[in-house]
Formats: sequence, structure tokens, C-alpha cells
Amino acid sequence: MSKMKGHISNIIQPVFAIFVGLAVGTIAILLAGESVFLTYREMWEGAFGSLYFLSNTLERSIPIILAGLGVAFAFRAGFFNLGAEGQLVMGAVTTAIVTVYLPFQGFLNLVISIGAGMLIAGLLSFFAGWMEQKFQINLLISTLLLNYIAVLFAGYLVSEPFRDTTSSGGVAHSVMVEDASKLPKLLTGMNVHYGFVLAIIITILLAFIIKRTTFGYEVRMLGQNMFFAQYGGINRKKVMFISMLISGMLAGLAGSVEVMGMHYRFIEGALTTPQFAWTGLMAALLANSNPVGTAIIAIFLAALDTGALGVERNTDVPNAISDIIQAVLILFISAKFTMAFIKSKRKRGAK
Amino acid sequence: MSSLFDLSLIDSTLRMMAPLLLAGLGGAICARVGIFNVGLDGLMLMGAFIGVAANAFTNNIWLSILIAVVGTLIFSLLFGYMVIHLQANMIVTGIAINFLSIGATTFALRTIFDVQGAYYNNEMVGLPTWRIPVIDDIPLLGNLLSGQSPVVYLGILITIAMYIFLKKSVLGSHFDAVGINPVAAKSQGIKIKKIQYQAVIISGILCALGGVQLSLGQVTMFSENMTGGRGFIALVATMLGQSNPIGVFLSSSLFGFTEAISIRFQGLNIPTNFTLMLPYVITILAMFIFKDRTQLNAMKNSQGSSR
Repeated sequence: MSKMKGHISNIIQPVFAIFVGLAVGTIAILLAGESVFLTYREMWEGAFGSLYFLSNTLERSIPIILAGLGVAFAFRAGFFNLGAEGQLVMGAVTTAIVTVYLPFQGFLNLVISIGAGMLIAGLLSFFAGWMEQKFQINLLISTLLLNYIAVLFAGYLVSEPFRDTTSSGGVAHSVMVEDASKLPKLLTGMNVHYGFVLAIIITILLAFIIKRTTFGYEVRMLGQNMFFAQYGGINRKKVMFISMLISGMLAGLAGSVEVMGMHYRFIEGALTTPQFAWTGLMAALLANSNPVGTAIIAIFLAALDTGALGVERNTDVPNAISDIIQAVLILFISAKFTMAFIKSKRKRGAK
Repeated sequence: MSSLFDLSLIDSTLRMMAPLLLAGLGGAICARVGIFNVGLDGLMLMGAFIGVAANAFTNNIWLSILIAVVGTLIFSLLFGYMVIHLQANMIVTGIAINFLSIGATTFALRTIFDVQGAYYNNEMVGLPTWRIPVIDDIPLLGNLLSGQSPVVYLGILITIAMYIFLKKSVLGSHFDAVGINPVAAKSQGIKIKKIQYQAVIISGILCALGGVQLSLGQVTMFSENMTGGRGFIALVATMLGQSNPIGVFLSSSLFGFTEAISIRFQGLNIPTNFTLMLPYVITILAMFIFKDRTQLNAMKNSQGSSR
């Protein structure tokens, strides 16, 4: 019974937050002098209105889901990985370069280039974990700092040694991926590609690992109570290294599939401007690091983004409205975190 | 080489460092009371926007600085309320404040001024440059140190004032007490929440000044997301400076210098991406040497409330 109650309150709070977010959005729309009903209808149309827009929304959700899962996994083990952005970009740029230089094309090329991207991104995240373990360098700061280094380094790679010089001017980008090695689209003429299927499979896989395997149990224990977990014989170092590695690899995968399935090259700024990694981080936090919840919220946040693009196309309301709604959502949900935290503290005190 | 390292480099370093210094001091005062303020970037952006918006309507620089400070202060109270009162996760709240600030300023830019990207008009009044009487007369130094915007001088004055405040005053020691051990501070009758609110308000004011220097100092315009992550560099300056005003001054002048020099490197064959990387690489290296207790304490708080 109490479990049931817990589930209901778990749902009520996000729903309340969404309500408040939309209410603030309404105020913004009124300030912009547009019809509220019309604007929200355009937002719905832009996100789900037709098969084409739905496929856009699902495509946009792919990197958000994967980066979010990465953050969620590390967070489950009690480690705050703020470096998803850098890991995503390093994964993307590695994939974009490797795929071009491999002597063969086709499925094997796709697998190897994505694998290489994941590996580099995973190592970047692992490096931050290693620095914390070895030199007590705070993970939050190091992952945050590595973001800038990674983004600038990737920018250097495509603007100097690996720049596509055949097309002149514009933003720096790498050479185009060969047709045979591209990640195929799910439906012809639509944007959504097989990365979405991959994201869903990984979501289920992660949920299974966390819930059902010994390693998942160790991760959860460490995340809930470090001292108790260590007392129980869990090797903090090992669990931390593995979870940081997986976390980085997932963020890297987010960038890699975006390159192989959507842009077909690494374009400077194309992965950082839409804030995929930070949106993924939010999705993970909003879902309390539950993999399935992270995926669902990622799709919702992606829908807000694509919906806002529709709003901007057809009304006078700027697409910044989605940033506002998302920010208000997070503010309210993070207050929820607290309520749960205070409650659990009180309970502990009562015992 | 002489064209690379001439004396006017000091002049541009001072100009580049001022926003970082002000926001960094804001971060430092928050870290002192155990608050890890990731929202510096958002606060700065808000200050930059309100400064320009007020300027467009009043055409008065002093009035627009005042409005920017008050507006950002109110915005910072939202962060304070979430973090201090509702005990929300500091990092999540800080990131949300940044998002909200980008969203709200971009939204307002398009609805109020009906432009995309950037706004400026010729009637806006930028920050004046002040010539300091005595220093101005010194032959070489005068040209460099004099003739900056008042916000630059204010930044230096605030550094000294904050240093004295934290080291010498009773209230300053209370700030430290709250950051080091809130429970002990409370038992001494110190009002923790009040002090934390004061720190957040001060950081709001300082970030507003830093933002105004960005949007009305070097240029007289506002462009979308014009802080470009400077708030995060300021946060790094706070960490590198160990939340000590003098330390923040030194680290932000280092970052100001790397920013100034990277502009010069554009003329050479050294990729600017590498010079832009310098602040972050230096900070990581510095973390091997220094361990910032205050910041770590603030960080511990922020992580504690997330679980």
C-alpha cells in the first residue's frame, strides 16, 4: 500500500511541475502578445502534429536519452558527472574522423567508428574518475573543466588538421561520411534513424543491469550509502571506474550516433548549441536517475524543443520559450528532491 | 615578439579581467558561506541584458547600472530561495538559473526590441573612461592604468574591501563560520540563513556589475548568450583563488591575460583554441597543488542535498 502511495506521489510532483512550467509559459506568451491557445497548439503540432514532426522529435531525443542515461548511471553510483558535454563532443569528433580514415566502408566501418568514439569518450570520463581516486581532485570541477578542453580540442581538430577543405567558408566541419557507412534512417524521408532503436535497447538494458545484476546492486549500494557499501565489501574504486567509464561511453555514443545518423560529419558547435548534454543531465535528474524515466523525460524535453521551433515558425513567440519552460520545470522538480530528502531525514530521526 | 607583448596588453588584460573578477568575487563570497554558485553565468547575463534594456529606455548610464543591479539582485534571490529555503540541489538550481537566464533574456530581446541575435542603438550611453588624476601623470604607467571604465576600478576596490571585510570584521568572521561549520555557528547564535542570503545578494550585485561591464563597457550592445560561459570561468577563478579575494584577483587577472593574449595569437599561426584552453588546463594543474577547503565544503553541501 505504501509502495503504491509512493508511486502516486512520484507521478504527482512531476505533473505539478509541468503544470507550473506551462503556466509560466502562458505568462510569457501573453507578454509576447499572442493567443495562448494558438501558441500551445502550434507547440503540439510542431512536436507531434504529423509523422514528419514526430520523427523530428524522436530524432532530437536520441542524444538527450543517451547522454541522460550516462549521467544517470554515474549518479546511481553516487558520482556527479558534469562532463557529458565534453564526452559527447569527443565521441562525435572521434567517430567522424575514424569513419573517414578507415580503408573500408559499410556496417563494419559504422561499428568500429562508433566504438572508437565511445572508447575515447569513456576514457575522458574515466580520467576524471582516476584523478579523483588518485589525487582527490573533485569530480564536479574536473568533469566541468574537461568539457571546455574537449570542446575546444574538437573544434581545433576540425578547423585545422581534419577540416573539410573542399567546401569553402562557413563553420568548420569534417569530411562527409560515405553513404555505405551511414546509420540508416528508420523511415525514408524522415529524420529519425536507427539510433533511436539503439537508445531504447540501451535504456532497457541499463534498467535491467541496475535492477537485476550483482554489479547493478553494487552501484545502487554505493550510491545510497558509501560507508555501508564499503563495509559490505564493495570495492568503491572498481565500481567508480567502471561506472564512470560506462557513463562516458554512453555520452560518447550520443555524439557518435548524431554524427553517423543525422549530420554525417562533425560540425563545430552543432552538438553544443542545442545543449543536448545539459538537457540529458536534466532528464536524468528529473527522473531521479531511473533509466526508463530518463528516456521518457528526454523525449518530453525534446518535444518541448521541437515544439518551440514550430511556435517560432508560425507565431511571434520566440523559441526561447522552451528554455524558460524547461528551467522552471527543473527548479520545481529540484525542490521536490528536497521534500523527499527532508522526509527521509525526518523518518530516520524518528527511528 | 614585441608586437605580441607590448604594454597595451596590460590595458586589455584589465578590461578582460573585470567581469571575471567581479563574478569570481561573487562566487567567492558564496563559497565562504557554503554555497556553490553555479548560476554565476546566468546572473551575469541577466545583469548584462537589464543594463542594456534600461539604457535603451533611459539613456542614462548610472540609472541603467542601478536598474541592472536591482534586477539581478531580485533574480539572485530566486536562486537563494531555492537553495537556502527549499534546500534544493545547488548544482541543479544553478544550471536551471543559467537556462532560465538564457531563455528569459533571449525571449525579452525578441519581444521588447523585436530583434534576433543582438541589439544596439546609437542613443545608448556606454560606460565612460575615467582618468585618475595622479596616476595619469606618471609617464608610462599612466596610459595603462588610467582611462579604464569605472567598473574596472570598482572591481579592484571591492577586492580590497572584501579582503578586509572577511579578515578583519566580526561579520566577516561570521561568514566564515557559517561556511566552515554551520552547526557550530548556529550554536553561537549566528543566523545562518540570513548570512547565506546576504552572500547570495552580494554575488547578485557583483555579477550584475560584471555583466554591465560586458554589455556597456567594451561594447554598447547585448547579444544572445553574450557571457559565453564567462560565468563558468569566473567560477574556476573562484576555485583557483581558493575563495580568497586576493586569490580571485590573481587568478582572474591570469585568465584576463590569457583571453587578451589569445586575441593577439590570432595573427600568428598558433591555433586560438589552444590559448583559450589555457585557463582550464592551468586550473586542473593547480588543483593538484592546492586543495581548496572552503570550496570543497560548499561542494560537499551541494552533493549532500542531492541524495
